[in-house]
Amino acid sequence: MKTIEWGFLIVNYLFLGGLSAGLFFVSALATFLYKIEEPSPYTRIARLGALLAPWPVMIGCGLLIFDLGRWYHFYKLFLHVRLVSPMSIGTWLLVFFNLVSLVNCYAWLTEDQRNKLFASLPRPLAFLRKFNYDIDHWRRHLAFVGLPISVGVGIYTGVLLGAVQSRPFWNTNLVAQLFLFSALSTGCATLILGLARQEHSAQELRLLYGLDICCMVLEFFIVLPYIIHGQLSVQAVQDSLKLIVGGPFTILFWVFFLGFGLLMPLVIELRELVPVIVSNREFHYSRTIAAGTALLILGGGFLLRYIFVFAGQMSAMQ
Amino acid sequence: MAARSKRYALVIDSKKCINCKACVVACRAEYNVPLANTRPWINEETRGVWPKLMAVFQPEQCHHCSHPACVRVCPTGASYQRPDGIVVVNESDCVGCRYCMIACPYDARFFREDKGVVEKCDFCVKRLAQGQLPACVETCPSRVRVFGDLNDPKSRLAELVSGREYRLKKPEAGTGPQIYFLT
Repeated sequence: MKTIEWGFLIVNYLFLGGLSAGLFFVSALATFLYKIEEPSPYTRIARLGALLAPWPVMIGCGLLIFDLGRWYHFYKLFLHVRLVSPMSIGTWLLVFFNLVSLVNCYAWLTEDQRNKLFASLPRPLAFLRKFNYDIDHWRRHLAFVGLPISVGVGIYTGVLLGAVQSRPFWNTNLVAQLFLFSALSTGCATLILGLARQEHSAQELRLLYGLDICCMVLEFFIVLPYIIHGQLSVQAVQDSLKLIVGGPFTILFWVFFLGFGLLMPLVIELRELVPVIVSNREFHYSRTIAAGTALLILGGGFLLRYIFVFAGQMSAMQ
Repeated sequence: MAARSKRYALVIDSKKCINCKACVVACRAEYNVPLANTRPWINEETRGVWPKLMAVFQPEQCHHCSHPACVRVCPTGASYQRPDGIVVVNESDCVGCRYCMIACPYDARFFREDKGVVEKCDFCVKRLAQGQLPACVETCPSRVRVFGDLNDPKSRLAELVSGREYRLKKPEAGTGPQIYFLT
């Protein structure tokens, strides 16, 4: 009996997990770009990314646990390692990612922030104050270790769906790639949103725009073959694509995801960045446009997960 | 000489089905399945053009595949396959993630809201252990269902599979379904 089993909690989890992966990835890249001995604008990207990265995925994991039929049995996921199950692999990836991103977040705290954090600990946790160490010098090591894990988390959210053979809407490797680049793009967008609020962020936004454009172009050139290849595939896949070509998700996919969530922000960012690269002009950014573009990307990323989770479950072999 | 391993399977002769749903009721009584769910069910289809119409009834349930997708995706190993081919769910290990339900090409699993776990047909393993047939097979008044060991050439099931034409549902899913629908 066909039912929709994964709903909004899973959509939110997939979005938040991808968002954290993107934040960590961009932060780690920026960590490699700046030189420790020199003050660099990339430091602000790396710091903001590192400070934000752990929280969305932790909320997402909470939603994931809450979605379980027996949430109080969630610990059983950690009693098994099943390499043939994408969910089991994902569980362990999330454990490592949460740990690394939390330690990385701590490593990027300033001395003042650290002191305030430990001073605010309640009395029963006062014993933790002896762990007030400065681990600034771990930042690059953590970025190095966390980078492949963050890519893994970004890919895994797509593999979770793509590995299901019985749902023709999902069963292609393109879904994993699509989710990865969408995740990286939403990470860039969150950092653009965070930095656009501050003044003198031109250099940071330039880097983020460039990275985001790469991710969105790749995302677009994955969506395109996904549709074309699907239309040329077996009947079950062609039928499943009708969900977004003439079916209930058509407007959501073409207008709101592809139009407003992918192509519009891509055009806006290209409009901002291309003159700087081609004509060597100074980068003048609009804070409103930057924030608006970022919100469009985040909305598009969320819609992508929404469409794929629901349409995928509605698709079936005939 | 090593003991021959069993491979349980089911033959369904849909032409004999009269849609009495005795199989559904017997299963529900055996396992106390809530009214909102069912392990076996009957697909009803009307074929032809009025006034020449024909009602087709096709019993459905878990196909106890030889390469079950549900077992592969299960993160805790709660869904597993016994050596005799029967796919079962270990309730105590099931966390209720429902990934197996999404992976099943036959939509043969359901989520029990009251227990928070996934359930499905298990060919009545408890009855089998006592030498009885599955409840649906025993109760069917028109003998639609034939249950048996595919590896036993003397079994009625093996005779039907080797001597009659049959079709498997969705073989393209690659899961190796083990319900043989006689044509």
